[in-house]
Amino acid sequence: MELPKRVVHHIEALLTGAKYLVAKPRMTVMYPEEAQILPEGYRGMPKFNREKCRSCSLCARICPANAIKMYTVEVEGEKKKKYPGINYNRCIFCGFCVDICPAGALEFTDIHDYASYSLEDLVFKPDRFAEGPPPRPFKPKLVKPMLDEEVGLKYVPG
Amino acid sequence: MQVSEIISWLINLLFYKPEVFCPIFYPGLVTILALLIFIIWLERKIAAKVQLRYGPLYVTRKAGGILQLLADLLRYMFQEPIIPKTVDKIAFIAGPVLLFATAYVPAALLPATAEFTGLRSELSLLAVLALLTLAPIFDIIIGWGSNNKFSLIGSMREGYIVMSYEIPMFLSTLAIAMVYGSLNIVEIVEMQSRCWGILLNPIAAATFLLVALISTARFPFEIAEAETEIVMGPYTEYSGILYGLLMGASYVKFYVLSMLFALLFLGGWHPSITWLEKIHPAAPGLVVFIKALIIMVFGIFLRAVYPRFRVDQAIRVGWHLLFMLSMLSIAYSLAVIWLVG
Ligand code: SF4
Ligand code: SF4
Repeated sequence: MELPKRVVHHIEALLTGAKYLVAKPRMTVMYPEEAQILPEGYRGMPKFNREKCRSCSLCARICPANAIKMYTVEVEGEKKKKYPGINYNRCIFCGFCVDICPAGALEFTDIHDYASYSLEDLVFKPDRFAEGPPPRPFKPKLVKPMLDEEVGLKYVPG
Repeated sequence: MQVSEIISWLINLLFYKPEVFCPIFYPGLVTILALLIFIIWLERKIAAKVQLRYGPLYVTRKAGGILQLLADLLRYMFQEPIIPKTVDKIAFIAGPVLLFATAYVPAALLPATAEFTGLRSELSLLAVLALLTLAPIFDIIIGWGSNNKFSLIGSMREGYIVMSYEIPMFLSTLAIAMVYGSLNIVEIVEMQSRCWGILLNPIAAATFLLVALISTARFPFEIAEAETEIVMGPYTEYSGILYGLLMGASYVKFYVLSMLFALLFLGGWHPSITWLEKIHPAAPGLVVFIKALIIMVFGIFLRAVYPRFRVDQAIRVGWHLLFMLSMLSIAYSLAVIWLVG
């Protein structure tokens, strides 16, 4: 009596597959033409504000991925100071640096998809770190995720 | 005059001599390459649709990414095939080439139509079956020659599975050959003009179909490669065009088995469309191809539905289910012969 039951299960599995083959809609976000609207407080690539920085090096020390290094920078009319620079190759977007900064000199941007042709290009010294990663060269259509009873997730234009 | 004579002789040789046309064009190499590009694309598309995705899309976007596999093929061609220091070089390089070749050779022996066939022999079915058994040997050789534990585990799995499907494969084909009393594929097809083989012996048909799925590593029997367990099984160390050949080989074998299934069980080129013959003598063979294509589409659809069996489960399917079924199919054939005569 085992075998007929198993055959029935196999047929059920095939039918389920066939059902999804014809009926249901898709769940894909057509990135990069479409992009999700990011929630507030999204941990993108961190950015640096030189005016606020106190050169305390806490960010470099807390960084679990060793992405932040302190660079000596000559500022006109002042003595040499140390400022953080970041290597986006290493950053794991944990946000520890932003949290620990006593001066609020580090903040998240909503950019998470800056890509580059060379590894060196992703090492941002303090001056470039202050500008932050360049924004997307084109404007994607923005969509927002919605829970849907049938499909699970659905993306609607937002 | 000379040049035009040579050209017409060449055209005649290439397109109207079955001994040349069958291996090269249909059902041989050209058809296989075109089919590979189409069927792998379709497999990815179907799996994607069932999983609510899109699948390949960006290469020729308007046509749904149908040329994706052509792009992949080009990439494989120009990628450096890395040959690790520790492998057995001859086995490593010759293995994929021979695997693809042995998977393809049986296709060259399949008939396109009754008159248009590359191999005229009373034993053509036996020849195809014998050649079909060659390919797995190279799977095992490359796994051994790769000098890598994943390759070795993969090829050992392949070895176990070959053991468990080959006997049912032979028995089920011989069962249908018994009913028709012939080992000549053309003769078997001609005798099916009234009643298809699948109706005469459905047990043999079911067994053969399952064996085709197992022997070409379709889901749920994709055990030797088992990407999530042993990297890529016997193919772990490969890259570039050598990997491309390996990946294509199982689809080629699946094509051959589907064609064989269409010829033995689905009536081959019957119902024959005679006006097609005016275009080209091999054109009525298109009917076989379409039937085989339907089988192949079913086979690749399974990827979207099934998980993977463990190797012991697959072997159990081979010995406990398929072996028994193939014995039954022989008995069934004997009964049919005894009743109908
Ligand atoms: S987000 Fe985390 S990993 Fe990235 S720089 Fe800051 S501390 Fe380092
Ligand atoms: S960015 Fe913040 S944590 Fe880092 S050195 Fe400047 S003040 Fe200190």
